[in-house]
Amino acid sequence: MDPLLLLKDIEQTSLSLWIRESDSFYSFWLILSFHAIGMGLLVGASVLIDLRILGLAPDLPLAPLKKLYRFIWVGFWIQVVSGILLLIAYPTKSLTNPDFYLKLTMVALGVAFMQMLKNRVFRDSSLSETVLMAKGRVFAIWSLIFWAGAVTAGRLLAYTYTTLTAA
Amino acid sequence: MNLAHIHLLLNHWPIIGSFIGLALFLVALVANSDDLRQTSLALFALIALLSIPTYMSGNVAQEVLKGTAGLSNALIQTHENTALLALVFMEITGAVALLGLWQFSRMSRPAPGAVARWNSPAVLVLSIVTVGLMSITGNTGGAIRHPEILSGQETTSIVGTIGGKIVPATSYFVTEYSRWVWPTLETLHFFGLILIAAAIGGLNLRLLGFWNEVPVAPLHRLLPWGIAGFALNIVTGMLFFVGMPYFYALNLTVYLKMLAMLLAGTTLLLFYCTGAFRAWARLGPGEDPPALAKFVAASSLILWLAVIVLGRYIPLTQDNLR
Repeated sequence: MDPLLLLKDIEQTSLSLWIRESDSFYSFWLILSFHAIGMGLLVGASVLIDLRILGLAPDLPLAPLKKLYRFIWVGFWIQVVSGILLLIAYPTKSLTNPDFYLKLTMVALGVAFMQMLKNRVFRDSSLSETVLMAKGRVFAIWSLIFWAGAVTAGRLLAYTYTTLTAA
Repeated sequence: MNLAHIHLLLNHWPIIGSFIGLALFLVALVANSDDLRQTSLALFALIALLSIPTYMSGNVAQEVLKGTAGLSNALIQTHENTALLALVFMEITGAVALLGLWQFSRMSRPAPGAVARWNSPAVLVLSIVTVGLMSITGNTGGAIRHPEILSGQETTSIVGTIGGKIVPATSYFVTEYSRWVWPTLETLHFFGLILIAAAIGGLNLRLLGFWNEVPVAPLHRLLPWGIAGFALNIVTGMLFFVGMPYFYALNLTVYLKMLAMLLAGTTLLLFYCTGAFRAWARLGPGEDPPALAKFVAASSLILWLAVIVLGRYIPLTQDNLR
């Protein structure tokens, strides 16, 4: 089955048409706004945790930062839902762009490393903060790199696509 | 009321404000008064924020005046060029002032430490240069509509010439030099957003009472990262504007975003970066913040959210003020 036909079918659904072509204030731009807010939550919370583990604001107790993972997950799901809606609006533009797959990979790695960080740094409360920070150091650094990569790859989507729609 | 009016309403504030700021700062230095020092530093930072929509509205005023007989385009251009230089120095002064101001908000205010020592001379020099540039800007601006004050030398001003070279050079770099410059600036703009979300958002979360396990003072130590994010976004934002002014100048969403940014920045400045914060800095683990702190934190969160959303809507409303 021709994948391009599938993409064209998606683009002609009423949902896709509405997001992509309606002049409404509540369609494309609102979804984009949610995507920006989700990014602020997901990456902002991650960066706060990473910076603390790397030694910034050392008087901030480490254990309470575990609560920030709640915001990471809220942000993540906002990104998934808004991201899927954007994908429905422009499936060809995204799925024929290698940069899109790079972005998804970076996001997956970012989330994975934050989870690994959680297991190493926020599980055993009997260890000292110095030990915990040492355990989390490499993961915090890579997490920052992956998030920077995800944000950059995401921003560049608008500048690297070749085909806007399948029609 | 048309939009040229907005420029007239705004443009006296940066000029007179920077004068008053400098005067207050000098008195603060001579009298060695912490309170006056805080006031003048806060004033510099506030005026720096206000200067941004002032500069932007100049473009609108120019648009409105187009076609008016008897107006010299050379004078308008000189004014715009000097204004850019004044803006740049005002922003630098405001940023340095904000860093100096922040130290007053820390719970255990250190005796004149490293930050305090370089900050006052830096602010002094920068503000003197800024006041000079603001005066020239005010003069060249007045000359546009007041032929009685023309000395005939406005269009040959050195400041104007320098500014006149910076605008096209910046515009060229941002829009034509390479197709990757603009996306890079946008990415940096997102990084600034993330820093603001992490540092200022984190503090707001605690002051709202949703993270009471954390002592406030160490969290407050992260604030300079949020300020750095804010500064990064002002710089990239101004580069966007100088690069493509017509995309922004006649766009209502842009001015609403600037208003939200002004209010958010003022909240940050007044409540988190002055001695006013010290009462809240003393809050330890388990201590619920007072009502005022919750109100300020909630306002700050809502305002920064508004900045993000309005920013996303900019492309939708281009030229809606034409």
